[in-house]
Formats: sequence, structure tokens, C-alpha cells
Amino acid sequence: MALIDIPPDLTFVALAAVTIIGAILALQARELIYGAVALAISFIGVAGFFVSLDAPYLAMLQIAIYVGAIVVLILFTIMLVRREVGEEAKDSPQSGEGSVGLWLAGLLSLAISGVAALAGPNMPSTLPSGSLPVSELGPTLATQYPIPLIILALLMSATLIGALVLAKVER
Amino acid sequence: MVTLVSYIIVSAALLGIGVYGLSVKRNAMRILFAIEIIVNAANLNFAAFTRYLNPPQVSGQVIVFYSIAAAAMEAAVGLALILVAFRLNNTIDVRKLNKLKG
Amino acid sequence: MVVFPPTTPQEVIALILYIITSHTFITIIIFPGFIHLTLVVMFLTWYERKLLARIQLRIGPLYAGGPGGILQPIADGVKLIFKEVMIPYKADKPLFLAMPLMLVLFAALPFAVIPFGQHWVIANLEVGLVFLFAMTSLFPSMILIFAWASNSKFPFLGGLRSLFQQVAYEIPMWVAALSVVMLAGSLNLTNIVEAQSKIWFIVPAFLSFIVFFIAIMAELERLPFDLPEAEPELVAGWFTESSGAVFMVIFLGLYMKVYLMSSLVTVLFLGGWWGPAFLPQPVWFIIKTLIVATFMIIPRGVYPRLRVDMLIKTGWTRLLIIALANVFLTILLIHSGILSAWGI
Repeated sequence: MALIDIPPDLTFVALAAVTIIGAILALQARELIYGAVALAISFIGVAGFFVSLDAPYLAMLQIAIYVGAIVVLILFTIMLVRREVGEEAKDSPQSGEGSVGLWLAGLLSLAISGVAALAGPNMPSTLPSGSLPVSELGPTLATQYPIPLIILALLMSATLIGALVLAKVER
Repeated sequence: MVTLVSYIIVSAALLGIGVYGLSVKRNAMRILFAIEIIVNAANLNFAAFTRYLNPPQVSGQVIVFYSIAAAAMEAAVGLALILVAFRLNNTIDVRKLNKLKG
Repeated sequence: MVVFPPTTPQEVIALILYIITSHTFITIIIFPGFIHLTLVVMFLTWYERKLLARIQLRIGPLYAGGPGGILQPIADGVKLIFKEVMIPYKADKPLFLAMPLMLVLFAALPFAVIPFGQHWVIANLEVGLVFLFAMTSLFPSMILIFAWASNSKFPFLGGLRSLFQQVAYEIPMWVAALSVVMLAGSLNLTNIVEAQSKIWFIVPAFLSFIVFFIAIMAELERLPFDLPEAEPELVAGWFTESSGAVFMVIFLGLYMKVYLMSSLVTVLFLGGWWGPAFLPQPVWFIIKTLIVATFMIIPRGVYPRLRVDMLIKTGWTRLLIIALANVFLTILLIHSGILSAWGI
């Protein structure tokens, strides 16, 4: 139904708002669990960006792994490190630190954005034609990058064993 | 009009938020949130450059795939570390976790 | 002619008629969308109670209007709406009220990719199967948040158990579906069904079907994987503190998941909408889905409950090994060319 065309600018701005506000809330929310939920929403925003960048498989993978596994781990850990109901480690920064952090972060992001915007005329501004079909991702991984794949598998086994050993309760 | 520069600006903003969280927050969980936000910013950057390259390459998506997997592993180990630190010191305030004993 | 934006009343009426008879509107709102989903989920609740009653040698809903109590779900819904929604002391009110709605949202959203017929799919995504699995992987976190927001011990323990169980059975589910994806050569659910035009995938991937079916029963928390809501131990598990409208929404969400998973089994293994041509394709799909749902309901009245450590161990070790064995078997079958007679 091509009656109503949603302009791509609108989706971009909406996704950017969701992602950035989610990230800010994740750090600033009073309760850790609200922060975790806001982080999950921010991840879903990034998944939306992946969809708009012609990478639907990556978007689904982002949701399945980040929101489906990492956020679950985070929630689970938050529930295990509470001392009593309703008490969190107080997070308010001490005297000069909050502003230093803000200046640092602000200058860093402004510097990067400035460099990008100044190089703007030389950067591609329209989407090049050509597509990234999903069926190409698998063969590329298997034929051009087999060693990183094997290293990833070994790394995952090491992580699994390491996390199990770390979190084990000695009886 | 959505160009590559807009994606870089969003990615830089996320990076700034992550760096703020990393440098200011005292709660170890919030620091982990900040790390995940920074990794997401990097992934977004990679995906944007992959798409706007001429012609688009699929190896950028391979990088993002790898990065998502590596971030998952790092979050798992990081959370296990936070659990152990909490068990030993009964706090996750990183200012108090500054002794190697115990 | 249809003009947007409309200015005269005739143009408004023409626009409305155009929208109502367009394929998009029909698929989203009527079939396989909103109305069909609500009706079938309500029918499924009645069907389960009736079937379970007959297995247990009783009668089940009988009086709620119509033959055999068919309006029982509506009566239940009306009763639950009139009950008071009690929010526990110091519970987290926004999360407590929002999470059931999100559960229903993420249970209903994957229906957009399930093909009920050759042209009866709302969104023909290239990565449909991964989208469905991504939505399924969101459930444990929402259940955990809801259980935590109830601020009470029974729901919290039930939520943790439910989390362990659902996370443990996700991986065998994904690996079992991997065999099907290899046989079909695509992640697109419509392509998977079209590749089954000559042979249903339950035949080459039989072990995979068994693993997938068991993993789904554990994901949906149906008996014999019922421990998160074991009555003598945990009252009602993670939704102990929900009452009234909250419980109704959760209940609907659970049965929507049952319907979703049954239709996923039909798409992946039982040939989707293929069937002899005297019935239209969506009807075959719904018949097969209801047969799968029947086989999911019957064990509930027959088998005892599994203990939680047996449950989790089965998920991580035995089912995963069988699913991986089936993946290797599928690779052998495809490469040896045995299946080329059926176009695989």
C-alpha cells in the first residue's frame, strides 16, 4: 500500500531518539532494573538502525543476542547483587567529577562529529546501488574468514569455562 | 536526507554517552552498561560504513557479527567477575573495590 | 480514483473502501491478523479445557452458552475483567502493568512472518525464521522482569526457574531448526514451505522434529515441563501476583505462544499449507496446527512433571546432542543426493 510514504528521515530521527534516550536513561535511571530495561530499548533501537542499513540478519542477531541473552544476564546479576530491597550503590558523582565526565564525553563526540561533518562533501551521501543479501554472509564467513570463525568457537568455549569457574559457589 | 555523516554523528553521540558512563559512574553494573553502549556505537559505525561503501561489501557485516559475539562473551565474563567481587566484598561500588586482598 | 489526501466526502469513502479491500488490510486485521488471532486463541483455551477434561474422564466446560460450553472463554474474560487488579505492596507498578502487555505484543508480533497460504503472509521477510527466534528469545527477560516487579518470593523463584528452563531449551530449538534451514536453503518461511511441496520435512529431519517438539513444549511451560507453575511448590510461579485483567492478558499471551509455536512446527516440518486441493490452503494450515496443538495438550493430562534439575540437564545435554546429530545426518543426506528426487 504505497499511499502513505514514510520518509526515511522520519524513521532515522525516531530511531536515533530511541537509541540515544535509551542509552542516557540506562545510565541515569534511579533503579538498576529500569536502567537495564532502557538499555534493552536502546539495543532494539540499534537493531532498527541495522534494518535501515540493509542488514536484517544482523538486526535479528542483535535482538536475539543482546536483548535476548545479555540483558537477561544483566538482569539476573542485578537481582543477585542487591543487598536489600530498594537499596542501590548511590551513584551521584562527587564534587567535580560529573562535570569533568560531561566535558570529556561532550568534547569527544563533538570532535568525531566535527571531523565527519567536515569531511562530509567527500563522503558518500547517497546509498550506492548494490545489495547485501543474507545468503552471502554464510559463505563469506566460511570461505574467506575460516580462522576467525574457529578462533571464535575456541574463545566461546574458554569464556564458558571461565564464567562457570568464576561464578561457582564453593561448598 | 540521511547520509553517512548522520550515522557517524549518532554513533559518536552513543560513544560520548558511553564514555561519560565509564568515567563518572561508581556502580559496576552501570560501567558495564556503558561498555555495552560503546560496543553498540562501534557496531553501528561499522554497519553504516559497510552500506555506504561502493560497492557494498559483506565483510563489514562479518565484522559486526564477530563483534556482537565477542561482546556477548565479554559481558558474560564481566558479569561473573562482578558476582565474585560482590560475594567477596559485599559491595559493587568501584571506589571501594580497590584492594587486591581477599 | 483514489486520491490522498482526500478532500470531498466521495473521496473519503473511496479511500476507505480502497483501504478495506486492499490485501494489506485484510492480512493485518482479518486473516491472519488481529481478528483471526483473537478468535483462534480463545478457541484454543476452550479446546484445551475440553480435551483435558475428556482425558481425565470428566466433561469440562458445559454451560456457558452454545453446545459444549463454547462461549466459556468469553465468560472467563468477562469475569476476569471485573476482578480487582491487586498490585502487591511495594511492587514496581509501571513494570508490573507494562510487562504483560509486552508479553502479548511479542507473542503476537511473529505472526507477521508466518505464511498461512501462498499469499497469506503479512510480511515476507528474508530472515523470517531468525526474526521469530529473536522474538522468542525476548520472553525470558520479560518474565524475569515481571517476576521481579511482583516483589514477592514465590513469583521471583518461579521467574528464575522459568528463565533457566526457557533459556536452556532455546538452543536445541535453534539447532533443530538449522536442519530444516539446510534442507530448504533459505531463512524465508514462505520458501521453506514451498520447498516442502514434494516431501514434508518431518521425513528427512525426523529426529529434528522430535527435538523441536520437546523444546517447544519446554519453552511454553506446558506439562511435563511445568515446574515454574507447580502448584504445591510455587503457587502459580511467576504470575502468582497477577489477578484480574493482568492475569487475563498473561493467559492470552501464553495461549498465543502455544498457537505460534504450533504453527511454527507446521511451517517447518509438516508442510505448511500444502494439501489436496479440495480445501483452500489456509484451512489446511489451521487443521495441521490444531493437530499439533492437540499433541501438545495430550501430554498435559498424561505425564508427570519433570524435576527441575532433570529438566535443565535434558535441555543442555541430551536434546542438544540429538539435534546436532541430526544436523550432521542432514548434511550427509543432502550431499549424498538421496533427497534430490524430492527437489532438495
